[in-house]
Amino acid sequence: MTQSPGITGTEVSTTGQGAGAGPTWDSGRALVGLLGDAQAPLLARPFYADGDPGAIVAALAQVPELLEVTAPFLGAVLGPSAVPTRTKEMVILRTSAQASCRYCVEAHTVVALDAGLSVTEVKALRGEVDAATVFPDPDDQAVIGWCDALVDTGPVGPGAKAALRACFADHEVVELTLLVTTTLLLNRFCTALELPTSADVLVRLDAEGLR
Amino acid sequence: MTRLAEIIAGGALGDRVWLYSNYHCNLACTYCLTDSAPSSPRRALSAEAMVTVARQAEELGFAAVGVTGGEPFLRPDMAETLAAMAAVLPTVVLSNATLFGGERIDQLRPLADLDVAVQVSLDRVEASANDELRAPGNHARVVEAIPRLVAAGIRVRIGTTLDPDAEVSDAEQARLCALHRSLGVSDEDHVVRPVVRRGRAATFDMGVQATVADLPPELTITSDGAFWSPFGPTVRDGRLDTDLLVTRTTDPLFIPASALARLVDARPPGGDARLGIR
Repeated sequence: MTQSPGITGTEVSTTGQGAGAGPTWDSGRALVGLLGDAQAPLLARPFYADGDPGAIVAALAQVPELLEVTAPFLGAVLGPSAVPTRTKEMVILRTSAQASCRYCVEAHTVVALDAGLSVTEVKALRGEVDAATVFPDPDDQAVIGWCDALVDTGPVGPGAKAALRACFADHEVVELTLLVTTTLLLNRFCTALELPTSADVLVRLDAEGLR
Repeated sequence: MTRLAEIIAGGALGDRVWLYSNYHCNLACTYCLTDSAPSSPRRALSAEAMVTVARQAEELGFAAVGVTGGEPFLRPDMAETLAAMAAVLPTVVLSNATLFGGERIDQLRPLADLDVAVQVSLDRVEASANDELRAPGNHARVVEAIPRLVAAGIRVRIGTTLDPDAEVSDAEQARLCALHRSLGVSDEDHVVRPVVRRGRAATFDMGVQATVADLPPELTITSDGAFWSPFGPTVRDGRLDTDLLVTRTTDPLFIPASALARLVDARPPGGDARLGIR
């Protein structure tokens, strides 16, 4: 296998480590054991081929038969697709912030910056400054509104639906919705398991004043 | 024939499914793979689960089952469970044979009419050398128990585990073989294998290194999941090793069996196990 089947855009791109590199997170902080390379189960080993696969994979490796189907799914939903990377990272960061997922917010703050979003835009997505002011484009506002609507429970309000339909085609609506809901899945998974943020992400957050 | 059954029939995947019935043991051998001792967490499979594994293994094309531990006969239901498993597939159970005194042997007598073998651990012909790594008095108990099992009509195998650094001479091995023959155990029922550097053996810096490439694939079921081989679900300093874990799912058996078959299929040509440790 020549390419790591890790979770594109979530962890592999943020760790920036080469093959054979060990984990940079403090596994003792998590609720469950995070399996390092030496204890990676057989079905999980391809996910460690390019080095530290990140805390989500290291946790999922506890159940390798679930990892081998979940990680490709997450990679497909969160990774490159028909929806631009910038838009996808807006969705992931906004949703994670609304769901109060510390791990995902920290990890995707870095990914969002790498995707071309400014520090101010990142702060807006994290709810630290007014998003409507920072994102005047109707497409961006519709995406942010869709995230905020889906994080709430119950029916989705007509305003969010209308705004999204006005800006995006059916397939984009489907993908954006799957992206929000998959992010919510990860938000609860990472929050419940208290996954630790990798050291290099924390260093970057400090450097950008975003920690 | 399914692809899984083909792989088993072709010999690429071992035709015996192993089960770890429990992890606790009345002994605490120096080289124990599972770090077993009297106080070890039991991690027991239920009798029902063990018999279910045997039934499903037979349906999938496996030809035999094996039970190991820990010491399986610490469980009061072991003889009955073995009988139920042997009604489905030929069964071997690994034991230290230290619990077969008095009335216990009577519980095993029904196994004489079934395809069950008890594989007893006996490492060295000299009691002092044997007991050094196992337990005081172990050699004497084993030498006493084997004829009782044989007399009860139960097939006995002997498993000899040798520390590669022990420098056991051919002459000493010959004397061990003479001993097992004298106890009623034939040469074909004597298995010799090296200590594998996993579990407590690794703690004590003993044994041969064995990676997945060295170990023949034999589906192994434990309360913690399914593993590549019976040398997989090892415990070191109280922590289960997961490097040879295949799946956490064990029922239906098809799930770990097919996952293991995929792993076997994915090995490069010529990637058969090098050491052939059994």
